[in-house]
Amino acid sequence: MSLPNISRVSASGLLRSSRDLRWLLRSVAPLAAPRRALTQMGYRRPGQPREDRPPWWRVKFDLAKGLKGMKRHFKLLKEEFFAPFVGPMGKPIMEHMLEQNQVLWEFRGPHSLQEWTISCDREIGGKSEIYLKVGRNNESCLLYGTLCSDPPKDGETRYSGYCTMRSKQPLASFDRKKYHDWSSFNTLHLRVRGDGRPWMINIVPETYYIHQKDDMYSYFLYTRGGPYWQDVKIPFSKFFLAHRGRIQDDQHPVWLDKINSIGFTLGDKADGPFQLEIDFIGVCKDYAHTEDFAYEKYKRNPEV
Amino acid sequence: MAPLIYSALIISLGLGTTMTFASTHWYLAWMGIEINTLAIIPLMAQNHIPRAIEATTKYFFVQATASATLLFAGISNAFLTGQWNITYTPYTLTSTLITLALAMKIGLAPLHSWMPEVMQGLNLLTGLILSTWQKLAPLYLIYQIQPNNPNIFIALGLMSIIVGGWGGFNQVQLRKILAYSSIAHLGWMILILSFSPPLALLTIIIYILMTFSLFSSFMLTRTTHINSLSTTWAKIPILTISTPLILLSLGGLPPLTGFMPKWMILQELTKQSLCPLATMAALSSLFSLYFYLRLSYAMTLTMPPNNPAGTLPWRLNPQHNTLPLALTTTSTICLLPMTPAIMSLMPF
Repeated sequence: MSLPNISRVSASGLLRSSRDLRWLLRSVAPLAAPRRALTQMGYRRPGQPREDRPPWWRVKFDLAKGLKGMKRHFKLLKEEFFAPFVGPMGKPIMEHMLEQNQVLWEFRGPHSLQEWTISCDREIGGKSEIYLKVGRNNESCLLYGTLCSDPPKDGETRYSGYCTMRSKQPLASFDRKKYHDWSSFNTLHLRVRGDGRPWMINIVPETYYIHQKDDMYSYFLYTRGGPYWQDVKIPFSKFFLAHRGRIQDDQHPVWLDKINSIGFTLGDKADGPFQLEIDFIGVCKDYAHTEDFAYEKYKRNPEV
Repeated sequence: MAPLIYSALIISLGLGTTMTFASTHWYLAWMGIEINTLAIIPLMAQNHIPRAIEATTKYFFVQATASATLLFAGISNAFLTGQWNITYTPYTLTSTLITLALAMKIGLAPLHSWMPEVMQGLNLLTGLILSTWQKLAPLYLIYQIQPNNPNIFIALGLMSIIVGGWGGFNQVQLRKILAYSSIAHLGWMILILSFSPPLALLTIIIYILMTFSLFSSFMLTRTTHINSLSTTWAKIPILTISTPLILLSLGGLPPLTGFMPKWMILQELTKQSLCPLATMAALSSLFSLYFYLRLSYAMTLTMPPNNPAGTLPWRLNPQHNTLPLALTTTSTICLLPMTPAIMSLMPF
């Protein structure tokens, strides 16, 4: 490969042209690289509109909103500071010790839906739909929609068809992560009314390593279609570990002292409308349930 | 874990501490501490559960940082003084660096943040080794270095007593409570170290006795949460009597053994004309006493809110050897009258 031709310049010529060095680099590519289009900077899911605005244009600077936010955060900080004077987790120790049931989410109005987020395969280009609204008489929440298993036509996705509802991560003051501590309890208690479809309950605990971020502990929720409510009690010992939907070989029980969120997923490949009504979600301590873990923890290929 | 590997790790733990005890050279002392750290890592991670691996990783990072700092300080000391003897640290910079590195190793405030999280991720047996055996080698080195200025020891000690009490205030996880208890007791030990090293030795020995008995009690009843303490009466009734006494001994209440080191330390501090310091230490230990009392209350004076007849656990013969528990519990409860004899044995 031949080297690019560089003009021969005398020493005096170099001094004269020292201010303008660009001609020396004539054979070299321009210093400034062409600016990538904004749309090339991240993955754009099919169906999402193109975003050509720079990132700083997307932030709404509003003094009133900022002041309101600061007030909220300082109020939370004050509550956090004084809660330990009452007892662990802001409750007196006797109440904490004698507590056998705790209702975590009770759907009694539009405000109770703000702690939840819904999602379906529409985000990856699918055709399912999901909606969440308050049930009749503000007594429950209704999760409904349409499941469609047709995969998105993007050439790479082979399977599709899921709808999910998940609780948001609880946040302390200044948007610090807070966790649910269910270590005093051993059973999940739900009151639901479904349409006969099987759902999956997913519990996502706090993890340390980045490659554990998709770890979740799952179990099934079989709903019985009909006008009657169902009281479902699932011990936490029944939840098995899955990573990105794949059940792991090495199983262990879920640690309940740092839980980020709980969710319900429908993916039974039965296309059509669905409905799930939830009255409350709580945890309880069943002293008669002494099982640590429902599945074998032995190694499948033990070293001799 | 395979028995051979388990034995090798336990022997390595013993080897590391013994090597540090037997050394006068900084390199050998550091090597002993490193062997200890590396030997306990597989013991901590033997259960491949995320929380245990997290605890192991955090412990490794902290101990590696402290070891690197210790080695650097030892080499700096050798560079400045021209010799490697552990006991000769005339320069304030190197002795302070060594003290801080060793304080990080044993979890003294303000370098204590790793301790509760690490203890929470371990099982009770590994937690016991971490609270007792792993403290011996660094404490021996602290014992030897004799810094020029005792103020650093006073600051570390007082801060640890306060933080150990304040941190355990609203904990409901027993392992975290025991971590904060360890921080507080080591604070007492460090506080008196520069004035009376034999008293510090007495404190650590009695702390090891009390912690061993408490951990063994919790291992027998398999309790890791304050709520499960209330069902202890149904599992092993005798522990419902002895464990609160162990807890109150840890809190330093007479006439139990735990009062002995605190009493002697306060007496020594008063003799050194450090009455405000003694007062602050005594008042700060009330925080720790509060959560020990809370645990005792949970165990003995509360009943679980259920029908006991339907949910009593099976009372089988314990599989563990209970002789160590019996011996250490007796020592934890009954040794206070022997204080004069113990004091006469101390090399004052």
